[in-house]
Amino acid sequence: MDVTQGLQLLVLGIALGGIYALIALGYSMVYGVLRLINFAHGDLIMVGAFLGYFVAKSPMVEGLPLPMRFGLVFASAMLGCAVLGVLIERCAYRPLRQQPRLTVLITAIGVSLFLEYGGQIVFGATPRQDLPLWLTEQNPLMRLFTVQITDKHLLVLGGTFTLLALMRFLVLNTLFGKAMRAIAQDMTAAYLVGINVNRVIALTFALGSSLAAASGVMLAMSYPKIDPLMGLMPGVKAFVAAVLGGIGDLPGAVLGGFVLGLAETFVGYFASGLRDAVAFTVLILILLLKPTGLLGKGMVEKV
Amino acid sequence: MTTVRSAFATVLLLALRYSLLAAVFALLWLLDRAFAARLDPYAFYLLRLIGINLILAVSLNLIMGFTGQFSLGHAGFMAVGAYAAAATSQWLVAHSPALANSPVLQSLVFLGVTVLGGLAAALAGLIVGLPTLRLRGDYLAIATLGFGEIIRVTFVNLEVVGGARGLTDIPPLGVTPVTSHFWWVALWAAITLWVVYRIVRCTRGIAFQAVREDELAAECVGINTTYYKVLAFVLGAFFAGVAGALFAHDPDQRYINPDTFKFMKSIEAVVMVIVGGLGSLTGSVMAASVLTALPETLRSIGEYRMVLYALLLIVLMLTRPAGLLGGWELSWRRREEISPDDLEQPLQPHRPTGETLLCLRDCTMQFGGLVAVRDFRLALREGELVGLIGPNGAGKTTVFNLITGIYTPTAGEILLDSRRLDGQPPHLIARWGVARTFQNIRLFKELSVLDNVRAAFVHQAGYPFWAAVLALPHQQKREREIERKCLALLKLFGLHERRHEKAKNLPYGDQRRLEIVRALALAPKVLLLDEPTAGMNPAETQAVMHLIKRLNDEWGLTILLIEHDMKVVMGICRRVVVMDFGEIIAEGSPEQIRTDPKVIAAYLGEPMEQPTPPLDVQPM
Repeated sequence: MDVTQGLQLLVLGIALGGIYALIALGYSMVYGVLRLINFAHGDLIMVGAFLGYFVAKSPMVEGLPLPMRFGLVFASAMLGCAVLGVLIERCAYRPLRQQPRLTVLITAIGVSLFLEYGGQIVFGATPRQDLPLWLTEQNPLMRLFTVQITDKHLLVLGGTFTLLALMRFLVLNTLFGKAMRAIAQDMTAAYLVGINVNRVIALTFALGSSLAAASGVMLAMSYPKIDPLMGLMPGVKAFVAAVLGGIGDLPGAVLGGFVLGLAETFVGYFASGLRDAVAFTVLILILLLKPTGLLGKGMVEKV
Repeated sequence: MTTVRSAFATVLLLALRYSLLAAVFALLWLLDRAFAARLDPYAFYLLRLIGINLILAVSLNLIMGFTGQFSLGHAGFMAVGAYAAAATSQWLVAHSPALANSPVLQSLVFLGVTVLGGLAAALAGLIVGLPTLRLRGDYLAIATLGFGEIIRVTFVNLEVVGGARGLTDIPPLGVTPVTSHFWWVALWAAITLWVVYRIVRCTRGIAFQAVREDELAAECVGINTTYYKVLAFVLGAFFAGVAGALFAHDPDQRYINPDTFKFMKSIEAVVMVIVGGLGSLTGSVMAASVLTALPETLRSIGEYRMVLYALLLIVLMLTRPAGLLGGWELSWRRREEISPDDLEQPLQPHRPTGETLLCLRDCTMQFGGLVAVRDFRLALREGELVGLIGPNGAGKTTVFNLITGIYTPTAGEILLDSRRLDGQPPHLIARWGVARTFQNIRLFKELSVLDNVRAAFVHQAGYPFWAAVLALPHQQKREREIERKCLALLKLFGLHERRHEKAKNLPYGDQRRLEIVRALALAPKVLLLDEPTAGMNPAETQAVMHLIKRLNDEWGLTILLIEHDMKVVMGICRRVVVMDFGEIIAEGSPEQIRTDPKVIAAYLGEPMEQPTPPLDVQPM
């Protein structure tokens, strides 16, 4: 491997990492508030990708300037998934809020299966590859030491960091974020100080789900093939990324996403068969060395 | 004469029990013959699939339901078992042509191969469990998921076993003219159920549930929590491996590849355990049957079946959040109850020697920049009842945590008799004779009152697990002895009437008393009581005070007591140690302490040296 290839892998790894980071960000938001591994998160990616696909294919975007088309695709996918996320929370998770977390986990698995198999009925099981060219075409923007960087790379990275900044601002600097953090620490106490817990949690789901949708569209842009099971593996890996970074910690989730994307790309280059094992090996190594994840803070149990 | 008679009775009992066992095998065999003749092949296949899933669910229930360790990697262990067994039997069949002609040999080989699959998986469980079981909750879940995937990817890259293509034409060794594969599945399902049932029910097996309920409290009653977590993992993996071996050799399967054991397979097992109810074996059996049969019977509605399955799962969890059966267990034999009237005295009177028993030498505990305890010295003589008092945050509980090994002192040493305690794990310290209660009650909430006390007998059980699995007479006798001891202790504190209630349902005062009983069950040399009367009403306080005094007076038990209630301390302690800001500020008899100016200052604050000058009100 020479320097050029190394750099090219670096770019690819960062681009993949950006997508993982975005999914992990949504995972982490929901986990941070409810301590719930939302298994359906990966399938919201799929729904987002399909929504984006249908909007991009619809005649109404034709003739619009390119930025507006992208805006419309992202906005509709994110909005649609936000609504779906809130709906899922309302019907499947909220009634079980006082129950053990494992119970909710099984419901989440149920929702995940429902979306996957429902998706196979609604969208068909065969993968679709007829995404419009303007959505998936990688246009070289610049060359850095013979390494190509395309507009899509920039879009993924720019999108990830913009959304990260936005989420951090929301969580740390707004009243809504304060309410979120309060619920994460103690839901009962949050009720007692007059926080509308249901609304805050619903909003958190809306945000997390729209992040999933955004990453779904980006995934479809970068790897132009969509099918009802496409969210499964990225979902699991993004969760790994979130744990890697210290679950519940937003910058940690993004860091975890990039670490994972890079590790996978580089190992995949040398031994493509081991690609899928990389995520988990990295994860286990880090958990054994630092059980709370890269940026996570340990909690001390009071005896 | 009596020994001869009891030996005879023992032999008779064992003969009866094992003939029952033989009857069960025979019954399974008859069923197998009947099914093989009558059932249509697909239904028969389904039945075997149910059996295999049952083994998976029950073994995972041991890990998740009883031991409380969330594992998402069960399919990985199943894969290891399947591959190890299938590769071995393929090799054997290829190298020994005699195998095909001898049903007996074939059956023996198949038994060996399934056990081998189990052992290989158990080894994998050990390798995975040792490092990962330090993690908890979601972190453990994701680490086990990771290992499961790593195992799968390893097989993808292992060309010896076919790589991504997998193994094909696995010889169906379980099928002979005498038995079908179903007999083997049923046999192993019965073995799995029996082993897990016996293990979690015996006194040693209480350890698993104690770990699930409260690891720290479990350590403090002498349970090596790491050992039991790893053991649960290894045992669970063993049976998952057996399930894998059975799956691979199924005459309608005979083919495995790495994708068979994707993480959805692990999820399926988790779903069965939780839908059935964590900690309910009956539930696991039901869930394995229903959830295996359901998607198959729904085949007629085509692609909608999995959607319906998913919806059912959601609705089931919404309507029965604790699973179908919760922790409920089918039990067909009523236990013989031990009458509380004929119990022996639980504690032996002991004449204390008055020699130093527990000794803390210049112990310091530092958390970052905070010194919680500084240069703490204490010599506790055998038979003493010493009070440790001080305002909130003085470091009293930290001293307890140092003695019981929850913290290791930054400096100084702790000795029991002449044995160093500092740096030793809590479960060893508990076994050596230091028992404690907790300021914020730490009972095993979901366990019965009796089982809470039995948990302290885990390391005193004195029989190996296999004795419990085989229900050997000496094990059964020991169980009854332990139960009698527990009941006698409970009676002493007036708790024997509530022995079958869950600990969490006891009133507050009873919970505190139960904690003391649990500590006493360790037969400790030193008892550390952390605010035993906190939150009690005056009458209850009186009763507990009286008992503590009796423990000390009549049975010579050495006690160190943390208490806020001055009346308690001054009433029963002959020596009192006062702490403030991590240091000892006074020590002596209750009378000396009562008048010590430093103690008064610590509790009531320093008297003001100069009265604040009156406000100078300026005329406007």
